[in-house]
Amino acid sequence: MSKVAALVAWVFLSLCVVALITLPVNLQTQLIASVVVVAFMALIKLVNAGGRWRLIALAFGTAIVLRYVYWRTTDTLPPVNQPENFIPGFLLYLAEMYSVMMLALSLFVVAMPLPPRPSRVATAAKYPKVDVFVPSYNEEASLLANTLAAAKAMDYPADKLTVWLLDDGGTKQKRDSTSLVEAQRAAARHLQLQELCDDLGVRYLTRDRNEHAKAGNLNNGMLHADGELIAVFDADHAPARDFLLETVGYFEDDPRLFLVQTPHFFLNPDPLERNLRTFEKMPSENEMFYGIIQRGLDKWNAAFFCGSAAVLRRTALDDAGGFSGSSITEDCETALALHGRGWNSVYVDRPLIAGLQPATFASFIGQRSRWAQGMMQILMFHFPLLKRGLSLPQRLCYMSSALFWLFPLSRTIFLLAPLCYLFFDLEIFTASGGEFLAYTLAYMLVNLMMQNYLYGSFRWPWISELYEYVQAVHLLPAVFSVLASPRKPTFKVTAKDESILESRLSEISRPFFVIFGVLFIALLITAYRVYAEPYKADITLVVGGWNFFNLVLAGCALGVVSERGERSASRRVKVSRRCEFGLDEAWYPATIEDVSANGARVQVYGLRGNPVVDTRAQIRFEPYSRQGTRDTLPVAIKNVESGSDITAVGCRYLPEVARHHNLVADLIFANSQQWTEFQRLRRINPGLVRGTLWFWWLSLYQMNRGFVYLFRSMGSGQREPGRAR
Amino acid sequence: MIRMLAFVMSVLLCGPILAQPAPFDMSVERPGEDRAPAQPPARPGQVDPQAGDAVAPRAAQPATFRRHIMPFSTLSLTGEVDERIWSVYLTPGQAAAGERLTFAYQNAIVVAPEASVLSVIVNGRLIGEGPVQATEAPQTRTYNLPSDLLRAGSNEIRFRVLQRHRTDCTIQSTYELWTEIPSETAFIEFAGRDAGRLSTIDDIRAVGNNGEGRTQFNIVMPALAQPSKTASLMRLAQGLALLGHMPAQSVAVTETMPALGKPGELTVLLGAASGLAPLLRSMPDGASATSVAGFVQDDATGAPLLVLTGPDWSAVEAAIEEITKITERPSDVPRDVINTERWRLPQAPLFVSDKRLRFSELGVATSEFSGRRFRTAFGIALPSDFYAGAYGEATILLDAAYTEAVRPGSRIDIYVNGSIASTVPLDSARGGFVRHLPINVTLRHFRPGSNLVELEAVLLTEADSVCAPGTSASNEARFALFDTSEFHMPDFARIGLRPNLAATSGVGYPYRADGGPVALYLDRSDSETLSAAATFVSRLALAGESLPAIERIVTPLEVGDRNALFIGALPQLPNSVLTQAGIDTSGEVAWGSASDAGSRVVTQTALDEWRARLRGGGWRTPIASIEGWMRETFDISLSSLRIAPATESAFAPPDAATLLVAQAANPSGNATWTVVTSPTPTLLKEGVSAIADLTKWNQMSGHIATFEPLNGVVNTIPAMQFEFVPTQTPSFWNYRLIGANWLSTNILLYALLLVGLAILLGLSTAGLLGKLGRRL
Repeated sequence: MSKVAALVAWVFLSLCVVALITLPVNLQTQLIASVVVVAFMALIKLVNAGGRWRLIALAFGTAIVLRYVYWRTTDTLPPVNQPENFIPGFLLYLAEMYSVMMLALSLFVVAMPLPPRPSRVATAAKYPKVDVFVPSYNEEASLLANTLAAAKAMDYPADKLTVWLLDDGGTKQKRDSTSLVEAQRAAARHLQLQELCDDLGVRYLTRDRNEHAKAGNLNNGMLHADGELIAVFDADHAPARDFLLETVGYFEDDPRLFLVQTPHFFLNPDPLERNLRTFEKMPSENEMFYGIIQRGLDKWNAAFFCGSAAVLRRTALDDAGGFSGSSITEDCETALALHGRGWNSVYVDRPLIAGLQPATFASFIGQRSRWAQGMMQILMFHFPLLKRGLSLPQRLCYMSSALFWLFPLSRTIFLLAPLCYLFFDLEIFTASGGEFLAYTLAYMLVNLMMQNYLYGSFRWPWISELYEYVQAVHLLPAVFSVLASPRKPTFKVTAKDESILESRLSEISRPFFVIFGVLFIALLITAYRVYAEPYKADITLVVGGWNFFNLVLAGCALGVVSERGERSASRRVKVSRRCEFGLDEAWYPATIEDVSANGARVQVYGLRGNPVVDTRAQIRFEPYSRQGTRDTLPVAIKNVESGSDITAVGCRYLPEVARHHNLVADLIFANSQQWTEFQRLRRINPGLVRGTLWFWWLSLYQMNRGFVYLFRSMGSGQREPGRAR
Repeated sequence: MIRMLAFVMSVLLCGPILAQPAPFDMSVERPGEDRAPAQPPARPGQVDPQAGDAVAPRAAQPATFRRHIMPFSTLSLTGEVDERIWSVYLTPGQAAAGERLTFAYQNAIVVAPEASVLSVIVNGRLIGEGPVQATEAPQTRTYNLPSDLLRAGSNEIRFRVLQRHRTDCTIQSTYELWTEIPSETAFIEFAGRDAGRLSTIDDIRAVGNNGEGRTQFNIVMPALAQPSKTASLMRLAQGLALLGHMPAQSVAVTETMPALGKPGELTVLLGAASGLAPLLRSMPDGASATSVAGFVQDDATGAPLLVLTGPDWSAVEAAIEEITKITERPSDVPRDVINTERWRLPQAPLFVSDKRLRFSELGVATSEFSGRRFRTAFGIALPSDFYAGAYGEATILLDAAYTEAVRPGSRIDIYVNGSIASTVPLDSARGGFVRHLPINVTLRHFRPGSNLVELEAVLLTEADSVCAPGTSASNEARFALFDTSEFHMPDFARIGLRPNLAATSGVGYPYRADGGPVALYLDRSDSETLSAAATFVSRLALAGESLPAIERIVTPLEVGDRNALFIGALPQLPNSVLTQAGIDTSGEVAWGSASDAGSRVVTQTALDEWRARLRGGGWRTPIASIEGWMRETFDISLSSLRIAPATESAFAPPDAATLLVAQAANPSGNATWTVVTSPTPTLLKEGVSAIADLTKWNQMSGHIATFEPLNGVVNTIPAMQFEFVPTQTPSFWNYRLIGANWLSTNILLYALLLVGLAILLGLSTAGLLGKLGRRL
């Protein structure tokens, strides 16, 4: 009853606000109201008030945004009888309304995210039987070995835990391929992985035909497994030891629970982070999703399956006929189907797996294209807003997740809109300078403040726009193609183990330089028109300022597509772990400084002389999984840097038996606490002003770097094509 | 005094044109008709208005009869293209006898005669045109009127001028172009003295105006001192005013016969037959038996005399009804136009809610233009409860075309009642054809009653900046305005305000038949006070086109809940009434007693000027300079940010003023009181007569208006505190608009309301979210 009363009060107050902001008061009043509201919001933000004040600040913001929408709708569209202005003007309007709608949906989702759940450790007596599925398509054996070893090493009764490697790279279809090379490769892989699995105590499973991609592979796994719960890890996502303990308990609490999802934590930077060198200090892109949005979705029982790092209930999957495979994002689609059948989901906000993400810009774009196309397919096949069985909040949540991927359209329009005026003198937005100040500027300020208020420590200012821009250029055709033929896109596995040994431009960088050039010309035209047409300098300056903002984004993007070379083949993780270094039968005290999937860097005390490269050595340390015992991992010395007392030795693992893979996994993945700590250190909110200044500086620097790379690549005469592996 | 008034009025009417070669600063003021002059007149000896008495000898001339046709003291046509249309009412006798139309004009020395034309059009037929070439001295033009041209009733007169500068091609130079025609020189001559005869009651409409554009009804009423007869007198004044319908009408009530035969005057004899007998040599037939309303002719002058008489007073009242019944319209039938035909055509259509009219319906024709500054105008009338000045916007959907010669930087300006209301650039360098281009016009300068909207296109071209000889007169059209353009008035907030002199002057609100009977308090019943009251009441009737019943009260206690008028010299008006109207009663003795009123005005003006000059100097405080910037850029001042309404202190009339009109709610807040007062009865009569002129009458607004005869200025005090008077059936949408207007004048309150509501919404959202969805 009190719910109804609260809802009625809320609806009434909302109507009052709508009535007030749609009052046609004069511009002066609007201007003063804008100033007052913006000042209030800034004040709330400055004192960092939380709790109710957070929602009050959002209410302020919403009021200003709604007022802008009303004004934009009623007052600013070009007349219909000027199609050359009206059509682009209306497209821009649609793009803005799309942004506002996304803002509204995300406000709904994250208005009051659930606080991180307290640890819910499974009850020892009631451990259900768990099957761990590791689907694979083309990942290398060494990578799989780490993941499988880490999965195998999870703290859980061994009789209740079965790990499955679901290999789609060694299917009968592949082994019988008409292409001889492919067939040979598949057969070799089939044998190699079988051997590895035997070694690690993991079940190897493949199938006859590669039908329905990942979903089909998982469903095939379900045919053979019989556990009560199914945990899914991507081939490159290695779980921490406590993964199952922290997740399976929830299934005990709620018999209708189908999913416990945990965040994806990445050990390596994405191309943007690597090329802009922000990985160590700025929160990653996906932290906004896993840090806030999934928590917000969780509030509305709409946290969805992200393909990996999750535990699902088998009976629920059986209820829905297994994993759905009609779209290329089977994960979200499956969750949507199960939510629609009345099952519940839970999100645990603690990184319990660590994984790899695409290293090159091209594969990053490939991955995002899949997500975008898959979400479009979900939108078209299942349209969540009208899907039966979902609660209203769930519908809105899924709409928010799916519609997000239309951003390439709006981003492109925002990029082109100022050019309509600067190049073609079209007037697609009719407003006076005063109106612009009272409505648009206030709207933009409020928007920025709201974003910062909502996501401040998870997303720095302008970074969302940068991510959208760098993706939009290549995602736009992808989104169009799926809109044109929804069934066409097929599942493509994203390569995540590439590396860039040499600094170079990405192979898909050319459009970014072209766009930058066009926007720069527009900047010159702005300057010329301000000088040559002083009677409309105000409009020119406003539009030119907008174009300048686009130019800043485009400049920064040039840095994103200029791939920095890396010495190490794979990303290193700092660990700082005591060990002993064994060389020529002698043991030296040492510390493991950092590790990667392939090797480690060890600081050795008292090592005399320079060991020869490729000499065989050993590292002895205490694994987290078997405390009190010490185990030895064979390595090869790859490089040596001598100091006075300390010698830094870079080594490469030489795993020979399954136990060695377990040790590598233990080194890299065992301690989930350190991942949480790493994330916490990056979660700093620089604030709007500092964040914006930093971004400008970054853009200037990266634009410069982009051109250095461009001239270098032109100098070397394009002889060397991209060297992505 | 009369001469001075006439002079002042001529200055007011033709002021801008008199600013002959003085360089015009457009940024300060813009010339326009019906506005105070930017420059004082400085043309002695050119067209000195002969102030009426020059007409008397002409009236004595036999064989022809003349009627002045211009209801303005001077007709001024300015700029490159200008015209003025109005109508003149002719009796059937006059329509048949019209012979010639004569006028004298003079123009600015810079007008190029070979490229400038002055045309006169009567009833749509061009009766003559010629070059504009009277630069040295006034030039008289006489055009014969075809015999079939004039008709009984309204005849449309149109003066149109096309002017080009001799040497200059700048926009600035177009402000130096003027042609003016003094009212006294413009008349129609009719064959035969009989054309001056009036025979039926309807012929009162042909009263016309004198050589200064004024009209006067002389009511001779032997029994004027009897308060019981005042109501009938007022009713007669109302009826006459509505029939005459001239822009500057006054009523003079006397006991004795005035001088007869003056143009623009009509003498009415009002009284029982016995009372009138001494004044008339022969009473109309039957006057001693029944009520009589009819004309007799004065033997000496041939002037018509309207006699309203009968055996007793009730018969006289019946005679008055003969006059009023012609014009009385049912109070429940709204007007669809405000009748302005005697001084401006086309008439202003009344907009009471959402309505679109094409320019063709507003009387603006499609026109092509080859000059620099194109101008056209139309009238828009608004009801008394118009309350959208602070927030509202009307839209002009413009259909126009301009050639590629028109350079970017050209613009279209919209003026409302002389104030700029919108500017739209024409900035395509390739020429353009705009179809229904929306131009938002702020409603701020609109007021109840008729409003003048002017559209001006300022066209810059390369040729003009070069200005080769002869090109200023090029005939190649560079701009066209199409009559398919539209004026769109959206639904606007409608609620009456009390006080609101603008509604009173604009449409007579609330002194109209639909507002119930009006209580009239006069401090005495002498000729001056009655004349002032009759003029004021008749002016109200004209504004409202309505004849409310007037009930004379002897003490303010009798007023009750009626709307009331208090007219009299200040010392004689009851203090309670003055206090209620917000007039400072302590200074009443002093008002008007100072002999040096003129010099004080000068001192005050100088003081104000110096104050304004020093405000722009170097010692402004930072707050003041910020305020200045805000005001210039966004029209926001600190005082507009107040939260509580400003308090009003009692108003002490300045000595320079001779007339004060103050409006307030009555003590119980359910009716309107208007006080019209002066230091003396004589000043009262003169002052009311002066402000009855349309050009001053329409300047009254707000809470208090004062009139200064020396410079002819009407000063107003806005209403800081007012009450709303609902006029419409309650509806959410109307209240919404009313709220919008009110909040637009209480800016900070809107912001605070928004903040308050947002805080409540935030709290309510927090409460709601705490109850919905999952909680941990």
